[in-house]
Amino acid sequence: MAAAVEMEKEEESPMKKGEEALERLRSADPPLYLTQSSEFARDARAASCFLFSSLVPFCTKLPVDRLLVEGFDAEQIWYQIDLLSRPLLSTVRREFKRLEEEHHSRAGLSTIDADGDGEEMVVEKDEISVDDEGDEEDGDESEEKGSEDEEDGEEDDEDDGEADEEEEEEEEAGEAKGNVVEDKFLKMQDLENYLENAEAKEYGHPVKKGSGRKEKDDDTEEEEDDMDLEDFDSDGDEDAELGANARYEDFFGGNKKKQQKKCGTVGKRKRSSTELDAVDHFENTDEDVEKNDSEQKLLSTHEKELQKMRSKIEEMEKANLDPKSWTMQGEVTAAKRPKNSALEVDLDFEHNVRPAPVITEEVTASLEDIIKKRIIEGHFDDVERAPILPSKPPKETKEMDENKSKKGLAEIYEEEYAQKTGLAPALLSASDKLKTEATMLFKKISLKLDALSHFHFAPKPVIEDMSIQVNVPALAMEEVAPLAVSDAAMLAPEEIFHGKGNIKEEAELTKEERKRRRANQKRRFRRLKAETFKRAVQKTGQSAVPGATNEKPDS
Amino acid sequence: MLKRNTRLRMEYLYRKSLEGKEREYYEKKRKIREALEEGKPIPTELRNEEAALRQEIDLEDEYTAVQKTHIDDEYATASEKDPKILLTTSREPSQRLGQFVKELKLVFPNAARMNRGSQVISEIIEFCRAHEYTDVIFVHEHRGEPDNLVICHLPFGPTAFFELLNVVTRHDIKDKKAMGTMSEAYPHLILDNFSSKLGQRTANILKHLFPVPKPETKRIITFANKSDYISFRHHVYEKHGGPKSVELKEVGPRFELRLYQIILGTVDQQNEAQKEWVLRPYMNTAKKQNVLGA
Repeated sequence: MAAAVEMEKEEESPMKKGEEALERLRSADPPLYLTQSSEFARDARAASCFLFSSLVPFCTKLPVDRLLVEGFDAEQIWYQIDLLSRPLLSTVRREFKRLEEEHHSRAGLSTIDADGDGEEMVVEKDEISVDDEGDEEDGDESEEKGSEDEEDGEEDDEDDGEADEEEEEEEEAGEAKGNVVEDKFLKMQDLENYLENAEAKEYGHPVKKGSGRKEKDDDTEEEEDDMDLEDFDSDGDEDAELGANARYEDFFGGNKKKQQKKCGTVGKRKRSSTELDAVDHFENTDEDVEKNDSEQKLLSTHEKELQKMRSKIEEMEKANLDPKSWTMQGEVTAAKRPKNSALEVDLDFEHNVRPAPVITEEVTASLEDIIKKRIIEGHFDDVERAPILPSKPPKETKEMDENKSKKGLAEIYEEEYAQKTGLAPALLSASDKLKTEATMLFKKISLKLDALSHFHFAPKPVIEDMSIQVNVPALAMEEVAPLAVSDAAMLAPEEIFHGKGNIKEEAELTKEERKRRRANQKRRFRRLKAETFKRAVQKTGQSAVPGATNEKPDS
Repeated sequence: MLKRNTRLRMEYLYRKSLEGKEREYYEKKRKIREALEEGKPIPTELRNEEAALRQEIDLEDEYTAVQKTHIDDEYATASEKDPKILLTTSREPSQRLGQFVKELKLVFPNAARMNRGSQVISEIIEFCRAHEYTDVIFVHEHRGEPDNLVICHLPFGPTAFFELLNVVTRHDIKDKKAMGTMSEAYPHLILDNFSSKLGQRTANILKHLFPVPKPETKRIITFANKSDYISFRHHVYEKHGGPKSVELKEVGPRFELRLYQIILGTVDQQNEAQKEWVLRPYMNTAKKQNVLGA
């Protein structure tokens, strides 16, 4: 009894403490939420504990009947609160709906709107970020207003909901300093909702609409989904014993399938005490109905993946067996593909040719700039006349000196006469000298060239100079013939001929003459021989032939 | 006439065949000249012939110092006489092509236009040789748009084939009275950005379509090369305020040319004659190449 009393007292004092803490939090200034004060944190925890425990009676099958705050992370505390609040929210929503309908039948739209607003306000509370302290404050006020608008019947639920929200908010506020990840844009709750939705879509579950967004649609389904998915969440937070007992069959029940019916299962769930039992219930209800319907089977992730893979493989195999589309075939002419199909396909091939230039304003302007520059410079690429090789020497144009001659005519004649007679030497100017030299050279050359090139007679150039007169007979001087003609041609035959008298050929000779000739020849020969012999003897000083005497040989 | 032609052709071919030997010779002389200028020792392979070559170098003048190729031969005497051009089209030209050819006739001084009728190309070439034309120009079309230009230089000359793009004719511009008549004075020429060897050759071909102008003409014809596309522009300029200000007025047709072939022969020898250069657009590096210059 005493223990019971003590227990009661103990229970009460935390309650009181919690209330006080809540009060303190409420009265605190908004900036205080931002500061890091351990007192504040403690207050927040106490307040959350209090609120939690006050809401516990309304919620069925919670894993814990009080909020575990000591030694727990903000995340974990939050999860616990979440566990409590979600089913509560759904119940609250249901109540709202019911009451709304009643309202609608009785009263006008305005109250419904008010309710709607209130609800929305409540709903939005979920999403308020930690940083918006002001908003939270406003939220608090609006919530209170909303609650005032509502009917009595709902008040409890509302209050609970409110308290829930507040609790959540305060929880958030309290844990603001600890929860670094969450901020205005990233909310863990949002992330989880999204993931759950995605998974639901993937694996064929009816889509969960999020934990607070759509109030009027499929609440019950959501609830059930919540339940299923919450199992995963709760696993992390729950005590070890619960985790250890969880088995595959508990979640997926092997071949047993369940049909997710609306209210009936909810009711069943509410009746059961633990979540796990509820799950079992789910599994066991509709196994017979669902055995043949593979689509609504509850599969594990692995099984789902396997199924996906299998379907993909089937698809691909089918595609491989079919004939390929025309884009995948090799050379395809127009006859082999459907009409105008090449227009639809984005044909991509590399053009190795630079495309033709599009003539824009800028291009024209740049061209004109180049042209203008060239014009200003005067630099053109015209054809230029090639210089013709001169075939004639340039004519010497003597410039006429138009001034009056300084010398009188008499003086000019005088000078000329003097030059002719030789009294005065001819004045040779420099140009005259060069001229004469040049003409001389040229005449020599041309004489040589003429001799080389043709047999026409051209006389030697008359070089007027005071040269020595050779005392040669006149005939020799006058004997002129072209150089090409040899001297032999110039001599008469008699001059060439050495012989004398009557010349007779061998055939014309008489016998005596022949004899005479031969005798002459012999005489000559002997004489010659003797002379040579003598000479040889004289040279050596002794007879050349041994035994030979100096006698003359008898002829 | 025939015999003369044959003889000329034989001479030409002979000179062309000698070119190889002459080039070696020319190269040797060049090396010796360089060595002498720089004061370096003469390369050992030329030691034997050095004396003879040196003598020749001394006797060289400006005409013999430069090696004459058969390519230069074609335009060797071109600057002495004014060019005489014959313009004609492909068979059965459309009205638009006829207009374009008429404009071209006004662009080239000393040009005459001829109806194609049903003449064969070899006939046309014979006719031109007989009447001492220096160049023939054929213009082809596709559905009214002029798309091809063939410039054939006459005695045996090179033939250049161009593709025409972005053609804008005088007839297209509606307001004729504002433009007035086209000046027919001998124009100045601007050949911009023909820096490679092939570019120089093309510039030569285009240049010798025009006669020697008077220095003070106001008419300018521009061939500007940019990445192998040659822009043809025809302007008349005025210098109003002093020597530095120039006002250009565009007159005459405007088009882009793209060279795709040069052959060393006339148009009727297209199959037999040697191809000096042919466009290769399907080579992998075709995009990177700038054949005509820069």
